[in-house]
Amino acid sequence: MSDRASKILLAVLLALGTIGVSTRQRTSTPLTTAPATGATARAVAAAEAFLATLDAGQRAKANVDFNEKTRTIWSNLPVGTTMQVGATERNGLRLGEMTPAQEKAALALVATTLSRDGYQKAMEVTDADEVLEVRSAPTRKPGAPIRFGRAFYYVAILGKPSTTDRWMLQYGGHHLAINVIFAGRDSVLTPTHTGAQPATYSVDGRTVRPLGDENDKAFALLNALNAEQQKQAILAFEVRNLVLGPGVDGKTIAPEGVRASTFTPAQRKMLMDVAHEWVGILGDEAATAKMKEIESGIADTYFAWAGPTTNGKGAYFRIHGPGVFIEYAPQGQGDNNIDHIHTIYRDPTNDYADRISKR
Amino acid sequence: MATAALIAAAAASPSAHRLDEYLQASRVSLERTGVSLEIDLTPGANVADSIIALIDHDGDNTISPSEAERYGRVVLAEIVLELDGRPVALTLDRVEAPPLEEMRHGLGAIRVRARGGIELRMRFRRELHFQNNHHPESSVYLVNALMPADGGISVVSQTRDGKQRDARIEYSVTPEWPKYVYWPALGVAALFFVYRRRSRSSAL
Repeated sequence: MSDRASKILLAVLLALGTIGVSTRQRTSTPLTTAPATGATARAVAAAEAFLATLDAGQRAKANVDFNEKTRTIWSNLPVGTTMQVGATERNGLRLGEMTPAQEKAALALVATTLSRDGYQKAMEVTDADEVLEVRSAPTRKPGAPIRFGRAFYYVAILGKPSTTDRWMLQYGGHHLAINVIFAGRDSVLTPTHTGAQPATYSVDGRTVRPLGDENDKAFALLNALNAEQQKQAILAFEVRNLVLGPGVDGKTIAPEGVRASTFTPAQRKMLMDVAHEWVGILGDEAATAKMKEIESGIADTYFAWAGPTTNGKGAYFRIHGPGVFIEYAPQGQGDNNIDHIHTIYRDPTNDYADRISKR
Repeated sequence: MATAALIAAAAASPSAHRLDEYLQASRVSLERTGVSLEIDLTPGANVADSIIALIDHDGDNTISPSEAERYGRVVLAEIVLELDGRPVALTLDRVEAPPLEEMRHGLGAIRVRARGGIELRMRFRRELHFQNNHHPESSVYLVNALMPADGGISVVSQTRDGKQRDARIEYSVTPEWPKYVYWPALGVAALFFVYRRRSRSSAL
């Protein structure tokens, strides 16, 4: 071998070592963050204000360790059932155990962390469960452990509220698990579950659909696709539930459906609008950053659909991109499948802010 | 929101739950030395008693570990799993069963976890065939391929029947040998490079 050839061989091997051989998994670049100002600092202040309203016993319940076990304790299921991860009780203190002043401080913490629309959505899901409680109470057996309603929604702070270290806020109950992980100036909303039962109810003559925009925007997007795009988007089989719902942490499925690289700018905007229904639950600053991240990976993002294509009937859909995984799944059967919805929002690379924490 | 307003809004409602269906959600994952399988089985409230009857053999209204394990084996016996047309024998890892009362409300899932060993062969394309024949009378199914943790294995395509009872998953498998060969090859090349430079220096 000539000297030149040996140099070339060495360079090729070094280059292969730099990019990794094909059998090695790609690793994501950890984010760099600065000390928190703004949103995290406001959340820390609101968390401390909430904790200050509690007595020692309440504080011990409301503020628990943040670790790999406690962070997974959340569910779509009502109080009184065993959650997917095996726990029988949610973290935190439930609204029904709080004084009005404590509840006000707890919900102020939730409102500080979420966007205005996100907070409204969380409260509408909570109210839907109150409707369910009113409907189910008359037929409930005395002493039955399964309970619905606003009083059974929990607020928990995992870890010490901090502008530098990782901690977590949970707000949830039946059909709701808002999980916000703070890591310095960053905050992450994944994994988060929303649901609704009933999915439509009325209050003082006003119709409320907590997840109505998610449904309507997705139907609009599907019907804005051309025939070829729809052919790719619509799965040839029924999908009757979430695939990566509560309890299925740390897993990713193969993407399916139509790739958004085929979308027109208008279709891409519609897709982003659907995703924003979940991403935008979090405060505006963090949501804007996340939307930019999703947009940067939009060419590798897929939209999949299963079920009827006319709005008014229940259909399953999924958005799956490099940093986003969203599912929407009607739960009932037959014609009555639109009044009970489950959804999940995950980030395949950063659930629980694990990617950020590796920095 | 005032509870009174909500009470006023609440009307009698039909259940919006999956009542008379048995949801069976499966996730499969291909690894270099095996296939792992997760099945979550959730009976609707109206079929729960018939499922419980299959599990609670002694009728004591609880599911013992041995009854859960026995049911797990029944489920696995009704799963067809083949790799490249050859059967994969599944071994039960564990079964978790919820309290019966939760199952009767349609809220409890039985979790079956299993694994099958596979024979290592030099193939770039592999096809996994999954079919769930457990309790077909009232079941609805999900089956999905998990993204393999091994970056050298990727899902190429998934095809399923309309009910998701039957799935064929095609994988691309990159041989592992390049990563074992890489460092020795780099070492040999570096030594050769140094040797050539020294040879040239001494010749001058």
